[in-house]
Amino acid sequence: MDYKMYLAENVLNERRTVTYRALSRALKVHATKAKQMLYEFHRNENAKKPQSVHATYVISGFQKPAVSETPVTNGHAKDEDEVMQSSPYLPSSMPNQDAPPESPRVMSIIIAREEDLEDAKSTFHSISKIHVYSLQPTVLQDLNTLTDVCREIATAHAQDDPLECGAQWGMIQNRNVKRRTGARPPPPAAKPKSEPVAPKDKPEPTLPTKRPLQMKEATPQPTSESESQSSSKPAAKTAPKREKSNLFSSFAKAKPKQKTSTPTQSTEPSQDGQFYHDDRSYPSSHITVVLDDASEEEQEELFPESGDKSASANRESKKDREDKLKQMMEDEDADDEEMPDADEEPEREPTPVEQPPPPKPAELKEEVTVQGGRRRGKRQVMKKRTVKDEEGYLVTREEPSWESFSEDEPAPLKKKPAVNVPKGKGPKAGQGNIMSFFGKK
Amino acid sequence: MTSNEDFGFLRPPSNDNEDCEQIYRAPSYYNPLETFKLPLGGERHYKQQYGDMYFLRLARLKPAVEEVAIAAWDGLTIAGEHARRVDRVLDVRQGELCWMAGTVYMDMPLKPNILVDLTKENFTSAPAPRPTYTDPSDPSSTQIMLEDESGRLRLTGTFLSSTHLVTGAIIAVLGTENSNGDFEVIDIKVPDLPLQPPRWERDGGAPTDTQGKGSVEGSGKIAFVSGLGITGTSSDTLSLELLTDYLLGYTGLGSEEDEISANASKITRLVIAGNSLGAPVTTEPAPGSKPIQKKYGYDASAYNALPINQLDNFLAEILPSIPVTLMPGDQDPANFSLPQQGIHRAMFPRARAYCAPPAPGGDKQEPGWFDSVTNPWEGDVEGWRLWGCSGQNVDDVLRYLDFAGDDENSETDNSEGRMQIMQAMLRWRCGVPTAPDTLWSYPFQEVDPFVLEACPHIFFAGSQPSFKTTLIEDIAPLSLNGGDTEMTDNGNNSPTRVRLLSIPRFQKTGELVLVDTETLEVEVVRFGAFAGQEEKK
Repeated sequence: MDYKMYLAENVLNERRTVTYRALSRALKVHATKAKQMLYEFHRNENAKKPQSVHATYVISGFQKPAVSETPVTNGHAKDEDEVMQSSPYLPSSMPNQDAPPESPRVMSIIIAREEDLEDAKSTFHSISKIHVYSLQPTVLQDLNTLTDVCREIATAHAQDDPLECGAQWGMIQNRNVKRRTGARPPPPAAKPKSEPVAPKDKPEPTLPTKRPLQMKEATPQPTSESESQSSSKPAAKTAPKREKSNLFSSFAKAKPKQKTSTPTQSTEPSQDGQFYHDDRSYPSSHITVVLDDASEEEQEELFPESGDKSASANRESKKDREDKLKQMMEDEDADDEEMPDADEEPEREPTPVEQPPPPKPAELKEEVTVQGGRRRGKRQVMKKRTVKDEEGYLVTREEPSWESFSEDEPAPLKKKPAVNVPKGKGPKAGQGNIMSFFGKK
Repeated sequence: MTSNEDFGFLRPPSNDNEDCEQIYRAPSYYNPLETFKLPLGGERHYKQQYGDMYFLRLARLKPAVEEVAIAAWDGLTIAGEHARRVDRVLDVRQGELCWMAGTVYMDMPLKPNILVDLTKENFTSAPAPRPTYTDPSDPSSTQIMLEDESGRLRLTGTFLSSTHLVTGAIIAVLGTENSNGDFEVIDIKVPDLPLQPPRWERDGGAPTDTQGKGSVEGSGKIAFVSGLGITGTSSDTLSLELLTDYLLGYTGLGSEEDEISANASKITRLVIAGNSLGAPVTTEPAPGSKPIQKKYGYDASAYNALPINQLDNFLAEILPSIPVTLMPGDQDPANFSLPQQGIHRAMFPRARAYCAPPAPGGDKQEPGWFDSVTNPWEGDVEGWRLWGCSGQNVDDVLRYLDFAGDDENSETDNSEGRMQIMQAMLRWRCGVPTAPDTLWSYPFQEVDPFVLEACPHIFFAGSQPSFKTTLIEDIAPLSLNGGDTEMTDNGNNSPTRVRLLSIPRFQKTGELVLVDTETLEVEVVRFGAFAGQEEKK
């Protein structure tokens, strides 16, 4: 049957954790069926080879009261009752005080490992349901890792409309759901969402169960990339170059509009490119972000093997989040007005603009050269310039101008006098730099 | 595992493609009130004086407490002296037995005081939270005063030590002024429970259409949860996933044949009472790192979107099946001062599809499937009037009071004391008595919304340390004190019943509170992981 294949592949081969909801969503079967499938698979495999598959169970029912707690709380309740009886601001409540304290029924829904199942069951005095929650190839050290599995399901299946698929999964249906049409986030929004999850668990390579499930969903190229990547993970110290190109290529897929002239080995161009692509209207916030990147990149190069993967992943997700937030802001209804950028301007020293404005003022460029560990370059920024026009009015214009920066400055935001630099200067160093990416043809 | 113990799940899947029966959730009748909605944008002013709130509260509640006091004390004579009613606190004559109504003001040694802060030029953005305002070593440093528009009168007497009062409560006191100019209190009266509306009052009677067969099938449930404490990291407990599964019916407790009452399909609405986020959305810079450049506006590096994203995911997952009312709490991204306004839907890119569309103009809009409401909040669910707060009101009142022995033993969570406080609030007819004194509040000018105009059926407080519930039942007041007809607050003969709920922090306890919509009986569903041998290793 289909589910046996799926489980054999995921649990035995890929050594993943599969929960019943993951199975239910992947195979589009009812949750009850999925639980039974997990049970059957677990039984069969362990009959063939004991301890090959481990399960966690969910037990629901009524637990015996914990012995240690009850007397203590009762004693206190009694004490305070007596104190409070004398309080006169509760005159009419007095008769009720003598009523026996209510002890509402407490139903417990407890998750337990296979190994603890009998212990856990012994704490219940009546059990209404037990079902398999998840299967995994090893004993779960920390049950909370299942949380991550659940979140991966959520991101991997973000495209499924719960209103349509809910019945299939066995969700309780509601006839009265009101959902605004057209407000559903577009699928592209879901795609970047899946990205931060994938690298999130990379820093913990000891947990093979946490391997992301949504790789299946990604575009073919990243899939193969990441597949090979994950299989090579046990060997540790994968080549950072390779990972970078993987990241980059997934971006190139996601953003076909950007000018992917020559895919270099560095990730930075692609990320910057993404920014330029998205943030036309935020010239000022722009620069700071780019600068941050530059400095981070340098750090990264100093320590190519120590966690640069996670660093870039973090940055990646951060950017994703920022993107999403911005998108969100833009989507949001008209009552939020965009703040004028002018507020920031007084912080800058006004510099004379020597370059005539290019036709597309919003498209900001950056040139970076790296020399002896220092990054120098020029970038185009938007400057406010106030001039008196023919009629004597003061007119403030935003004009792009070039300014140079150098990486060894402690405060990279500090402006230097703008210098004219011809566009389209070629790259100097062998390092992949932004020019090679943005160079105009 | 023997076959009779398979619980329906511990067995191989049946091969026949029998369709699993669809389970439908009962409809939810929901009619929120906008008591705590502040005017938008430019209409919202902060220049007014807070004194107006006390004036409004006193004006609103004085008649009510005087009514109670007249019933109790009219014609009362003690030792041959007739108890006289005094209109203003300054009209009290020394040595004369009298009574009057006013607002309690407590002067306490550790209470934050804006005047002290100003004189010390000590400007903090928020007062550091204190466990208590009392000074346990010196109980006499707490002064209780009664004030009205004319002035203040210090209250003394042994009677006060047996009672619990907080700033902002409106009471009537009986006693005499002694030679020190202090008022010796003999008795205290409070406004007591306001009139309770009958069920379905605002919805024009119980729904009788075909969809309203909830009462035929059996009662529904309203679910309450608080303090989800989502951080977005793997330190989040698995309980949240189990909660999601349970609410969506995946746990297997949703099917009709389950005679057990904790049937997820019976839950018609989830109320989230505050503190859904466990981590701040802004991250502190790591110590030793470079000082952060001042950036304009939103700074991506200082913003931690994971918690709110994860909350959004949680909501988006359960919303297709269950309507949600979300209240902000003191840790949530909403304004800090009460009433907190709803968390803006822009924070929920996925869940907001279920929000009510933005109202064109100021029209009254239909409440959304996902309703991000104020804190405190008042509304009708399944015909019952709910009044709830995310817990700030109870926490703050607790700082005024000294429940026996809790200072030394901070382990006790005072759940009984908290219940008493909630009951006292109802009887004071004031849901947040300590605003604006020690709880930050909007300076209301027209009306004090914290005054309970109608007695709720369910009165809840979120983010409490432990679960606790009581049922207050007031039989129509017996005319013990002279047969006053004015006391018939309960016009109908049905007794006033209020279900008090102290909703625990889910992150700590894993508890979800279910309230039956017919009987107001309470159940708890507890989610958790079994700490087995693996953890003990």
